[in-house]
Amino acid sequence: MTRVEKSETAGVSAEPVIAPTPSRSRYIVVGGVTLFLALLPLAKPLIGQPYNYVLQLGTVGLMWIAMTSSWNLIGGFTGYISLGHNVFFGIGGYTSGLLLLYFGLSPLLTFPVAGVVAVVFGFLVGLVTLRTRGPAFIISTIALLLMVGLVFDNWEFVGGSNGLSLPLPPFSLETVKVPFYYAMLVIAVGSVYLGYRVAHSKFGLALRAIAQDETKAEVAGIDTRRMKVAAFSISAFFVGAAGAVWGYSLTYLRPTIFFTIAIAAEMVLMAIIGGRGTVAGPVVGAILLVALNEISVSQFGSTELNIVVTGGIMLAVLLFFPLGIIGTLRERGRLPGFLDWD
Amino acid sequence: VTHFVQVAILGLLLGGVYALMASGLTLMFGVMRIVNLAHGVFIIAACYVAYYLFIGPGWDPFLTLIVTVPVFFLLGVLVYRSFFPRIEGSARFGEMTVLLTFGLALIVEGLLSFFFTGTFRSTNPPYATEAILIGDLFIPKAQLYASITSLVLLIALWGFLYFTRTGYAVRATMQNRTAAQIVGVNVRRISTIAFGIGMAMAGASGSLLSFLFPFFPNSHWRWIAILLSLIVLGGLGSLKGAIIGALFLAVIAAFVSDLLGPTWAPITFFGALFLVLLIRPQGLFGKEARVG
Repeated sequence: MTRVEKSETAGVSAEPVIAPTPSRSRYIVVGGVTLFLALLPLAKPLIGQPYNYVLQLGTVGLMWIAMTSSWNLIGGFTGYISLGHNVFFGIGGYTSGLLLLYFGLSPLLTFPVAGVVAVVFGFLVGLVTLRTRGPAFIISTIALLLMVGLVFDNWEFVGGSNGLSLPLPPFSLETVKVPFYYAMLVIAVGSVYLGYRVAHSKFGLALRAIAQDETKAEVAGIDTRRMKVAAFSISAFFVGAAGAVWGYSLTYLRPTIFFTIAIAAEMVLMAIIGGRGTVAGPVVGAILLVALNEISVSQFGSTELNIVVTGGIMLAVLLFFPLGIIGTLRERGRLPGFLDWD
Repeated sequence: VTHFVQVAILGLLLGGVYALMASGLTLMFGVMRIVNLAHGVFIIAACYVAYYLFIGPGWDPFLTLIVTVPVFFLLGVLVYRSFFPRIEGSARFGEMTVLLTFGLALIVEGLLSFFFTGTFRSTNPPYATEAILIGDLFIPKAQLYASITSLVLLIALWGFLYFTRTGYAVRATMQNRTAAQIVGVNVRRISTIAFGIGMAMAGASGSLLSFLFPFFPNSHWRWIAILLSLIVLGGLGSLKGAIIGALFLAVIAAFVSDLLGPTWAPITFFGALFLVLLIRPQGLFGKEARVG
């Protein structure tokens, strides 16, 4: 908890320097939660009636954890905010959807392929967009999102704005949610683990250096361009994979499902609430917002006001807790050990 | 050849309006380094103001300018004062402004769709469907009037920036914020004014846009993406760059939409953005970026 030392350099005091002494409690907690999530679908008699609802909610929560953790690699660690990351979500969804339609391969098996396609696409895009810094980069990601959305809206091969219908998954109604749940669990655990590994690697260190001062990082001998493009394309993998599973669980693909900026907004918001650039932050943020959304939809129904709430929370967090939950707690030295995954 | 000239004219007329919309955005960036993602949604909000003044008291959309311009100026002052001084010292100011205005855009969009629903609307003054014929050339009145109005407003902005003391101060702040402060410019006050003017431009654009294109709350994303592409193309913060970029690309977009259909027109802006980033990351008229 108190392993945090304030950096002495002026201007970067918001970025704590972390000494590598892990606390044991976090392994127990993280392992326990993962085990619990893995065993959850087996507890059908215990859950009873709302079984499918619980699994659906779990799938959604895990999806957001995966997406936000992946976004965090570029948006958090590297400090390059992408407002078009759901492009990879859609590309993953369509890749696996097309593989299912043309080759009969289940997206539950091909989601890694979808992830790889997203990575390749991210690499090519990153080569261009990461030539810029700061605001210009963010703008280019918005332009990318609208451009890709426009292409999918008008591309006959992928069904245009009507989208594609996928064959129904070959599972009984009783257990239909289970495979999707497990696939998302694998993706979510993978993305959080990836975030952890990156945070503890030389690569992660380079990314943080870029976030703090790119020019200095460059002077220090970091190949910033390569690091940035690597971070951007790697961060596409689990977003694409999540898109593949999500699209199949809906059994239809439509541009409006994937390419609306609201999805990017959620990713950004979850990461900010939890704490950008931390491993645990995106997970905490995703769980909080999914829970909040579930409550507000069940209480007030789904209205246009949801997006007002999203925007309002974003403003409030930015103005009052720009470091997010994990970041603020750590700054004050109050972060419980089990939440300190960095 | 006539067809070629025709398409070019239509593009140029629209380009004038694009230039007006982009000018406010680029001014905000130039003076305060604020990337205002909410610019588009405020333009759409102004469209609704114009729309209700049109269907209610029956005001001509051009007459609504006398409401939208001052109201949005004040709104801009209010928005600037309530949010931006708080984050002024933050280490990653540029990034903060993007996120902050992103949140703001979501709020305004949500409120607009709550009150006005998601249906397409537009004002339809009588001249919206009329045109002037010069020989074989067909010049739609709506676009022509809107373009002339934009030109007048842009000239007024230019006059303000180059021939008034406040204008000098604004330009000085654009060039070097710290130095401006040293020579006695009240940077906070200038920033507030500049933000207000930027928003007034958004308000004016809304009045004009209300009869040029159908609008609905969510449509602001398409506009902001186009406008942001324009200002990156022109070199962030360069007013001249934004205006030239707007005219140039609007003409190209007109040809694209002539060849491939209007749905593909926006791709011109995004495609051009990526092309320019590939060749010249700092934009056509930009200096080497020093924002991080």
